[in-house]
Amino acid sequence: MTEVDLLTRLKEVAGESVARIEPINRETVYALPVEKWLNVVAVLTGELGIRHLSAITAQQRDASQGEIEVMVHFWQGRGITFVLTLPGDHPEIPSITAIIPGADFYEREAAEMFGINFTGREATPHLLLPDDWDQAPPFTGRITHD
Amino acid sequence: MTKNIIPVGPQHPLLKEPISVNIEVSGEDVLGGSLRIGYVHRGIERLAQERTYVQNVHLIERICGICSHVHTTTYCYAVEALLGIEIPPKAQYIRALMCELERIHSHLLWIGILAKHIGLEMVFMHSWHNREVVLDIMEELSGGRVSHAANLIGGVRFDMDAEHDQMVRRQLRKLEDQLFGVLDAISTDTTIKARTKGVAPITAEQIRQYCVVGPVARASGVDVDMRRDNPLPPYDKLDFNVVTYPDGDAWARTIVRVDETRESLKLCEKILDQMPEGPVTTRARRKVPAGETVIRSEAPRGEVFYYLRSDGSEYPARLKIRTPTLAALSLMPVQLSEIRVADIPVVLAGIDLCIACADR
Repeated sequence: MTEVDLLTRLKEVAGESVARIEPINRETVYALPVEKWLNVVAVLTGELGIRHLSAITAQQRDASQGEIEVMVHFWQGRGITFVLTLPGDHPEIPSITAIIPGADFYEREAAEMFGINFTGREATPHLLLPDDWDQAPPFTGRITHD
Repeated sequence: MTKNIIPVGPQHPLLKEPISVNIEVSGEDVLGGSLRIGYVHRGIERLAQERTYVQNVHLIERICGICSHVHTTTYCYAVEALLGIEIPPKAQYIRALMCELERIHSHLLWIGILAKHIGLEMVFMHSWHNREVVLDIMEELSGGRVSHAANLIGGVRFDMDAEHDQMVRRQLRKLEDQLFGVLDAISTDTTIKARTKGVAPITAEQIRQYCVVGPVARASGVDVDMRRDNPLPPYDKLDFNVVTYPDGDAWARTIVRVDETRESLKLCEKILDQMPEGPVTTRARRKVPAGETVIRSEAPRGEVFYYLRSDGSEYPARLKIRTPTLAALSLMPVQLSEIRVADIPVVLAGIDLCIACADR
């Protein structure tokens, strides 16, 4: 499936707000609305056969705006990345573990490091941080340079 | 029948690194398991944001004590992609040579561990004895046995002359003479077969569901290898076989690594044959232009994923690292069912866990 065909299919599933944005290296990147995320993943893994989830990267691109960006990186002969933007004060996104069980660890890591709430799944116990970690998620603080 | 929990770890003689696995058993039958990682979490992704790109080469090297070189290689290719520079061809080949030596060293280490877990001390000794030859080569070239510090942003730290070439070839021949008999023995040994054949099979469908990569995936017939599918230079100019087996059991996971060790030995020879002349470094600026990149490479345990974003300063704005063990670990609770208690070491070892990589 070409990049244009994929964009057309994504627009059918998730609406006209889907956009192909600047590629990252050789990876094609699509921006998606969060509310249609589960529908998109169901189509990706089912009809389109794009099943290999390489990683989930969360980040605050601009700390002053507070928005948290979730990048979900797939591989199907080429890299395909989906970008979902969450509000900083209430970062919430549907969990995809029911469709892709391999997403469990990645979601738990994003949850503990950025305070993202993954809905529709069981609790997200800490993956790397101690059970009694009671400070702010490590990636939400200010970065200081040596 | 009464159910019991066997706690393995975080400190346990079976484990080289800390991980906690609670295994639910009923008599000799294993019913399930759960695991907890994070005991060697160092916050490397966060630390990387506080250090310069140059300082981070040394930080990234310390993610893992086995596959340290592939991590710095992937990181340096990511930084170089953002800088818009291409390193000299000879540096690319030296990076690849170290990657393949590292793969042989990692697989031999794993074969030794598996052999020890199933009580074959002799295979363990032979495997680790041969691994020393690989470590000697890497030490001779770089000065370090496991932390090689071979990579710089813009190339590699050491050059290879004709003397080095001869030394590596001599040592590789020595390794082949010593090792191939051992690898043949592993492939045909009845004890290894008895302990691994049909044990804890993973289907290709499970591999895809849990997004597992590397030798574990290839042992279930899933033909993936980033060296071929998404080659970093110079793998696009090298010819090699990707080893796959359809069985999916602990036996297949063993034989895949045995065969990959042979393939990597051949690949080292090819790299030396094709090694170009010329410089091994190119100039790289300290400040990296704003941008982002994704680099995927093939570590001994499978696909390594790096995402790097620069905001134009000397410090990375975000570095994301996904290691292959993390993908394989999520499958472990599934594997810890429908096996016998005696199979537990084979199952835990079979994935070739690298907890330091998974925890970062």
